[in-house]
Amino acid sequence: MSNIKVSTKNVNVHYGTKQALHQVTLDINEKEVTALIGPSGCGKSTFLRCINRMNDLIDICKVDGSITVDNEEIISDEVDVVSLRSKIGMVFQKPNPFPKSIFDNVAYGPTIHGIVDTKSDLQEIVHSSLKRAGLLKEVKDRLHEPGTSLSGGQQQRLCIARAIAVNPDIILMDEPCSALDPIATATIEELIDELKNKYTIVIVTHSMQQAARVSQRTGFFHLGELVETGETQKIFTNPDNEKTQGYITGRFG
Amino acid sequence: MFYWSLIIILLGMYSAYIFGKSRITSHSRQLEIKTASLPTYYAQYIMVWCLLPALIVYFGWIIFEDQIIQNLVLANFDFDLNPALNAGLLIAEIKNAALNDSFAEGKAIEILNAAEHYASIKYISSISFYLSILIVMILGVMFASRKLQPSFRAQQSIENYVKYFLFFCSSVAVLTTVGIVFSLLFESLRFFSDVSVVEFLFGTKWYPYIPIREGQSGSLGSFGAVPIFAGTFLIMVVAMCVATPIGLFTAIYLAEYASPRVRKIIKPLLEILAGVPTIVYGFFAFVTVAPFVKTFGQSIGIDASPTSALAAGLVMGIMIIPFISSLSDDVINSVPQSLREGSLGIGANKAETIKRVILPAALPGIVGAFLLGVSRAIGETMIVVVAAGTAPNLTANPFENVTTVTVQIVIALIGDQEFDDPRTLSAFALGLVLFVITLILNIFALRIVKKYRERYE
Repeated sequence: MSNIKVSTKNVNVHYGTKQALHQVTLDINEKEVTALIGPSGCGKSTFLRCINRMNDLIDICKVDGSITVDNEEIISDEVDVVSLRSKIGMVFQKPNPFPKSIFDNVAYGPTIHGIVDTKSDLQEIVHSSLKRAGLLKEVKDRLHEPGTSLSGGQQQRLCIARAIAVNPDIILMDEPCSALDPIATATIEELIDELKNKYTIVIVTHSMQQAARVSQRTGFFHLGELVETGETQKIFTNPDNEKTQGYITGRFG
Repeated sequence: MFYWSLIIILLGMYSAYIFGKSRITSHSRQLEIKTASLPTYYAQYIMVWCLLPALIVYFGWIIFEDQIIQNLVLANFDFDLNPALNAGLLIAEIKNAALNDSFAEGKAIEILNAAEHYASIKYISSISFYLSILIVMILGVMFASRKLQPSFRAQQSIENYVKYFLFFCSSVAVLTTVGIVFSLLFESLRFFSDVSVVEFLFGTKWYPYIPIREGQSGSLGSFGAVPIFAGTFLIMVVAMCVATPIGLFTAIYLAEYASPRVRKIIKPLLEILAGVPTIVYGFFAFVTVAPFVKTFGQSIGIDASPTSALAAGLVMGIMIIPFISSLSDDVINSVPQSLREGSLGIGANKAETIKRVILPAALPGIVGAFLLGVSRAIGETMIVVVAAGTAPNLTANPFENVTTVTVQIVIALIGDQEFDDPRTLSAFALGLVLFVITLILNIFALRIVKKYRERYE
């Protein structure tokens, strides 16, 4: 049994008067891939965005309950959101490279966090991050071209490189492949498999095959509730809950 | 008379539409063939062919009618009786006499005769005007209705007409610009036949009313435009130094930091600022800011004049703030939220996100806003007239009186000298140079924006 990296207890999220998450209690293990599945609007992205306090950006969003990262409570006004987020990288549904060069995209995080002192250190980080994201070979001769000139799959790997450049512990992925073709998706899935040796990964996905392929543990959300959570293999072969059974066999959702 | 013709054309179009629609419907029913397009498109097609000839006749008539009637009247007029009259004055007399009885009193008999002649031709002309409009509309419809077959692809034709119409609309702006350039150019050429181009562009003394060289008494003064352009530039720089930072920071606050409630209050207030008439800004500059600038100048040991470039520039800057803030606010708002999230998700704070991600992404739009501000500053007149004085000093000291191109144009055009006097014509030369400068500025800015876009899109 591995260590618990993120632990949530009784998390409720309200958008205005509408409650989006009900009493979600979930533990996420270190250096594993945890997949969150469920039909659209079930709250899985909302839950993901609680972990790095991204919901703060939405004025009407209220989060209560308890979330700990490395046993430290993060749902509190005293928490330094900036340093929290530097520990938790995020990859979004749509690739969102900055309007900068490929190099500057990856260098962005290390620069603002002052991780590096010299230019050569920065270069080192950019190269190793691109390499870990499996992108270095394709772009090493055009690091100073705009990040937006890459293909969709390359852009998404650039975003992953950008996230791992600040050396986070956790990477949150919000449907990272939903805008990509099957080949780019396969590349990213391979990448996720490799990354889990070093990082704790939480991935929201619509594709159950993807969840089955990349994750060790899976949580099934439905109507804002965490219906069932467990080993991926068990969830997909022998779930305890009827709703889970229904969803994974495609009877609803 | 022309209002009635509009009603005729509209009625004609309406009946053409109805005619076209019923005709094609019955046609396709008879032949038992489905029409290639919806019946409305056939009706529109007929309508276009009804409207086009009518419009051609209408505008042709407006443009040529007066000239033709004048020529007809003058041809019958015996000039020997009144050799002193020139044709233009004569026709004005005749027209006045024809249209207004009180003008006719006490005029020579031949003028009265001509006026009668004029009136009768005018009457015939208006009758034939209505008739010809009607006739060409009917001809147009008849010509077009030959095509009212179910196999005819009316929709594609309409599509084409729409395309021509849109092209026509876009060419109006272009042609107007060309027209403006030419009118400026020709009047300027007249000016430059009296004053040398070199003196105008590089002379440092602008005293049109004071002959300063020997042997020139009673004739022209000196037309060196450098002080005027320097003054314009000085005031523009002062204004942009005020407006750019304040406007941009306002926009950043509104777009990124302000709560919706605050935003709802501040934005309309700023837009009110944009709606204040510039002459009111002028009062403010003259009554409040200029004395303040003077006192301030004295307190730091600079002798400031009661009206100064600084006073005008400061107030002009205030005037330009809403343009820059409002446009930049829109641009910053249109930067995708995903970029913000991407940056914040890495652990950047808000200021870093704005400085390193949002502003670079919004830069083309911000440059555009800045240039709009510059062109406002260069073109502004009233504030400068009131608050900066009219003295063409060549100086870089903002505490002194200066004047701008637009102010000198106003002064040149409201003077009581004749129109073809170089002092009046200097307005056009100034306008031409101003036009060229703003043109170069715009081209320059467009290139910056384009280069930037190529890099990042």
